[in-house]
Amino acid sequence: MKAWAVFRDALLPYATGVALQERLHAARLADSIPDTVLFVEHAPVVTLGQRGRDDGVRVPPQQLHAQGVELARASRGGNVTFHGPGQCVMYPILRLGAHEADAHGYLFNLEEVALRTAADFGVTAFRRAGMNGAWTADGKIAAIGFRLKRWVTLHGMSFNVNVDLAGFDLIVPCGLAGERVSSLARLLGAQSPDTAQVRARLAHHFAEVCGRELEVFRAGAPLPAELAALLGAG
Amino acid sequence: MNVPTELRYTKTHEWVRLEKNGVATIGITDFAQEQLGDLTYIELPGVGDNVEAQSEVAVVESVKAAADIYAPVAGAIIEVNKKLEEQPELVNSDPFGDGWIFKLRPDDASEIDMLLDADSYEDMIPEAEE
Repeated sequence: MKAWAVFRDALLPYATGVALQERLHAARLADSIPDTVLFVEHAPVVTLGQRGRDDGVRVPPQQLHAQGVELARASRGGNVTFHGPGQCVMYPILRLGAHEADAHGYLFNLEEVALRTAADFGVTAFRRAGMNGAWTADGKIAAIGFRLKRWVTLHGMSFNVNVDLAGFDLIVPCGLAGERVSSLARLLGAQSPDTAQVRARLAHHFAEVCGRELEVFRAGAPLPAELAALLGAG
Repeated sequence: MNVPTELRYTKTHEWVRLEKNGVATIGITDFAQEQLGDLTYIELPGVGDNVEAQSEVAVVESVKAAADIYAPVAGAIIEVNKKLEEQPELVNSDPFGDGWIFKLRPDDASEIDMLLDADSYEDMIPEAEE
């Protein structure tokens, strides 16, 4: 099945990313675009999950603000997380639950994409029973949280490349006290790839694992008219 | 995949059972609960709410996902499954039984006949790969 991917280089404010996803979601529901995966990097932000529990944030909002970190509520599942530069964030806008659904489960597939991407760079990552995401011996490297609206997905997965891990000290990641967070840069040092290299591998594995033939577009470069209209305002 | 033949279904994976007293009991299908994984929280509809067909009435949340639940037909919400507040996992263990989510008095019960039957619903969901 054909699908689109959009690579966006400039740091994206979180709220703009949400607005962008909502436009893509509406277009996907209307079948005016195929399944589309948005790849972005966010300006620093702490996001709370659907239920908006903020007991996972360790510092008062003023301190987040003083450090240039936004605080946002997200309509996704899961608990609190951090996004910032140096982290690949992928937002698949996919129709699930019809013929083309992923029989093994979307959650499992996203984890698989993270595991295979880590392996490409020589990092062993694994699943942990009852804990979402991709984990390494040094801590969690990819976090997953998504929303289904009319069985089309929103939100998705973030993968730590060379993000400043101090951002995670502001929170109790995913509400899991005592669990560490890691990144490729922390595990690989100077050998670590950059986000563009990781993004390319995430897209590759996504296509394979989720059975989509991905046509990649770059924000700013020529785009299909439907996509240009949707991305334009963002 | 369990798809009871006596129920009606929606494309958004709700099931509907029209009871003899004209009330419709609604939940999510076995396929839906399996896709979502272990549920951790359910935001139930408000009793007394009048809802439109296909409107968002509840949210189910698993460790990783949040998903909207839709009213299959228009009507008034007359009861919600309070047990799910403490035991959302009932939706995983018994999606067509103890895991029911809400009851609705349809404005027009004949709309329920227009929903998918078990065969059509089963055709819509993907084959499980064993």
